[in-house]
Amino acid sequence: MSDVMLRLENIDKFYGAIDVGVHAVKNVSMDVAKGDIIALLGSSGCGKTSTLRMIAGFEATSRGKIHLAGREVQNLRPVLRNVAMAFEGYSLYPTVTVRENIAFALKSTNLSAQKVAEKVKEISDMLEISDILDRSPMSISGGQQQRASLARALIREADLYLLDEPMGQLEPQLRTLLRGRIKHFIKERGQTAILVTHDQTEANALGDKIAVMENGEMQQYASPSQIKERPANLFTGTFVGEPPMNVFPATATLADDNIRLQLEGSLELNYPKSRFADEVCSKLIETKHVIIGVRPYAVKRGTNGAKATVIANQWLGDQSHIAASFANGTIVLVEHDRAAVSEGEDIVIEIDPSDLHIFDPHSGDALSHGRDLV
Amino acid sequence: MSLKLTNITKSFKDDLVLNQVSLSVEKGQTLVLFGPSGAGKTVLLRLIAGVIEPDDGTIEIDGLDMQGVEAEHRGIGMAFQNFALFPHMDAHANIASPLTARKQTKDAIEAGVQKLAKLLKIDHVLSHQPKELSNGQKQRTALARALAGEPATLLLDDPLRNVDAKLRFEMRLELPRLLKDQNATVIYVTQDYKEAMAFGDTIAVMSGHGIQQVGTPADIYLSPGNIETARLFGDPVINLLDVRPEKGAQGLQVQISQTPVSIAEGYSNAVDTDCILGIRPEALRFVDKDMPGAFPVIVEAETPLNEKTVNLMRTVNGRELMLSRPAGSPGPSEGEAYIAVNTSDAMLFEKTTGNRIEPLHAAAKSGDSA
Amino acid sequence: MEQVSTLERILRGIAISFVIIFFMFPILWIFLMSFQTNETILQVPPQLFFEPTIVNYEGLITGQLETAAGSLKIEFMGNLFNSLFLSTAAVIVGLILGVPAAYAFARLKFKGSEDIAFTLLSFRFAPPLLVLLPLTIYFQKIGLADTYVGLIWVYQLIVLPLILWIVRGYFEDIPADIEYAYRIAGHGFWSTFRKIALPLAGPGIAAAGLLAFIFSWNNFIFALVLASADKQPVTVGALAFITASGINYGQIAAGIVLSIAPTFALAMYAQRYLVEGLSLGAVKG
Repeated sequence: MSDVMLRLENIDKFYGAIDVGVHAVKNVSMDVAKGDIIALLGSSGCGKTSTLRMIAGFEATSRGKIHLAGREVQNLRPVLRNVAMAFEGYSLYPTVTVRENIAFALKSTNLSAQKVAEKVKEISDMLEISDILDRSPMSISGGQQQRASLARALIREADLYLLDEPMGQLEPQLRTLLRGRIKHFIKERGQTAILVTHDQTEANALGDKIAVMENGEMQQYASPSQIKERPANLFTGTFVGEPPMNVFPATATLADDNIRLQLEGSLELNYPKSRFADEVCSKLIETKHVIIGVRPYAVKRGTNGAKATVIANQWLGDQSHIAASFANGTIVLVEHDRAAVSEGEDIVIEIDPSDLHIFDPHSGDALSHGRDLV
Repeated sequence: MSLKLTNITKSFKDDLVLNQVSLSVEKGQTLVLFGPSGAGKTVLLRLIAGVIEPDDGTIEIDGLDMQGVEAEHRGIGMAFQNFALFPHMDAHANIASPLTARKQTKDAIEAGVQKLAKLLKIDHVLSHQPKELSNGQKQRTALARALAGEPATLLLDDPLRNVDAKLRFEMRLELPRLLKDQNATVIYVTQDYKEAMAFGDTIAVMSGHGIQQVGTPADIYLSPGNIETARLFGDPVINLLDVRPEKGAQGLQVQISQTPVSIAEGYSNAVDTDCILGIRPEALRFVDKDMPGAFPVIVEAETPLNEKTVNLMRTVNGRELMLSRPAGSPGPSEGEAYIAVNTSDAMLFEKTTGNRIEPLHAAAKSGDSA
Repeated sequence: MEQVSTLERILRGIAISFVIIFFMFPILWIFLMSFQTNETILQVPPQLFFEPTIVNYEGLITGQLETAAGSLKIEFMGNLFNSLFLSTAAVIVGLILGVPAAYAFARLKFKGSEDIAFTLLSFRFAPPLLVLLPLTIYFQKIGLADTYVGLIWVYQLIVLPLILWIVRGYFEDIPADIEYAYRIAGHGFWSTFRKIALPLAGPGIAAAGLLAFIFSWNNFIFALVLASADKQPVTVGALAFITASGINYGQIAAGIVLSIAPTFALAMYAQRYLVEGLSLGAVKG
């Protein structure tokens, strides 16, 4: 395990008795390489926070092993695990100033007072909290508390940094800036971090890999671009990406040596049969109905395709979001310029076969991705 | 003029919230009140609704002075940020309440509720109590209630704030059309610049007790009145650099990253004054070193953001810059690089006042970007 | 969520039993006493096992008190009725006056509203004896002494502040936006008060009413001074058991059991409201 910083091996978590209580985390395994930032992404109650708390040691594992920096730590007390954690809620010591809160994390090191002051200044400049260092945690806003908590975690030397929704309360523009700075800070120091978030934008921005969780199960553990291009199932596909993936029911038939996918609204896509695995192929023909997904940026306006009627065209300064009614539903397009179409106008939409994702309508599992078929 | 506010002033105890605010909206138009929290947007909405009274100034609806007119007689529909559903009544009764107030017949009430519920796709949950509704359903119920009385004036107080990102996106696409169909005069309050640009026929930017700028989305985004307004629109936020325009060999220029970069000739009156250069992140692009106007930066981080890629960079002088480009477009994720900006895309602000300097020739005005 | 060991569970059980015994013992003892004669009660050491008798209850219900010195007529059932009547009436009057006042204090912030509200609350702090003497004199002058009306009036000193402060907290907890929404939908002020504010503060009003009922029921000093025998509630009526020939513990116990029964039943029934009313509403005020 030379470059693996953290390894989770078949982790289970039950609240209540084992196999009887609430099964919050189900057989989760993952390896985190040294120097990587991993985003645990999911909606509330998906098990991501429980997983984080088990890694930190605030929560006992019901089953499974946790290896951290070459040690087996699942039975170790939190303080012995050498992890630094930024909490989502209010975890600052209320009786001392923000500065002392941050500097406190360096207390056990033998750094000189001057060195500590320098480090505090550097990190508080980065997180835009220099002006509140001498205030009491009680007197600052939620977003400022969050950043102070983040500063207190990042300033430490630790094997692993655990960040629980570190930017949930900040306004969007500040988030965008801080994401860049924090990513740079962590990467520059070669730190390994796990970020828990429900915000897919945050996960995409910061994560080298994203672990998508739902119902206590790991849905997919892959890089942001892999998740974007090859979502493992419908949940991952629609959860990651903003604006969300367009999904439509389609009918699959065999025509000559092609698999033909037919959407309402006269859009038809053909793939050579040979590109599908045999069992996927027979499954397609057998069930006949599939769900196809296409990301908004991959939907193009063109001359050769299906007709749709524009119902909204919203220019946001650097992007246009267009919604068009199509195939009994609505399809969303993203363009990077100010799109010159108006409401009520008919457009022709084109979808490149390579941008398509095909899902099983029952299990939701991805059957195939256009990229692999063309 | 369907709604006209003149010199509205309001304080709570010693806190001045609104100072001499004047606004007007044409019938059937949507005005977005946009600004950071604490700018007084919600207070202004409540003044129009008539649940609080202004200290000074007049509110006219359809030419009638509203002073002394109780909230229930103003012909207004309102949706609240926290929905404010009546917790002890089911969704049906909530939506029906503007109709029952008008003492309509049972059939008319039923028809009105059903029509809106269908339109907003909540007809299957009409018998639910508010606490049994999902956030999205609550928000739609609140909206249906606001629309039920077919009000001439519709006040929407950040109605999408408390719903999740996916639903917010869906409603952002759906709601403008719904509002247009109602043919009501709409005042829409939001803190989200995307919503403001998507909804507004006109946007009024509020901050510091008053209105900074009123204009169309394009006016505000492309020609912001001052730095504050420029900063409020756009994510990532606009890049701002201290510069001093000077006359160089190639014409008017500023120094960025110790490199001369041309700016529009129209700014000639700003030569040798302290200015702030504003460049939208999407107006910056990676270029070859040899390209005229290319200046060096160090790329520090790459963070994808909703179909865009954002790069955090530093100039030679250590100033931060952000660049955004379509996701998937080529660009370095770290290390040295050269970037450039179109001359027409750089805005100049006076350093002392923060006001934007209008370039002298209209030709320099930018139409589209990146 | 933690795993609880068996030992810990046992220790918890013991601790809880101890607390229950500590608090319930007096009530249990009185309950047992009410089924004993004076003789068995006064035995030393006390007997845990005895021949139960209902003679005490008989005496109370028939109004005929048998003592060593002879038989005595008492008005216990009348007292019980007085308690019921006085408390109920006091609470009804208190609610009619207090709920609108609480709404005004919660919603219409006017000059001096805080001061007035606090003054009303301060009646609860003053010892009742402070007001009793002047009150007695005035009541006698205007003919209110020894009348139900007078007593109900004086009971407002106990009932009103309680209702005012609890209910006000509940009104303040209703988001103003909900009332605004109803107004904007086209309903008037009174309609909003009746259809929105009252139902939403309902649990608080119920809790305040119940508490006020219990407080009035338990009141002793006002009734002792201001009421004569036929207007006396049970709290004062129980004094009759202290006779020249001794104290009738058995009857006192039976009297207590009968008189706490209604409030006890009420409190058990409305336990949830009471806890909410006390912990939320009142603290928030």
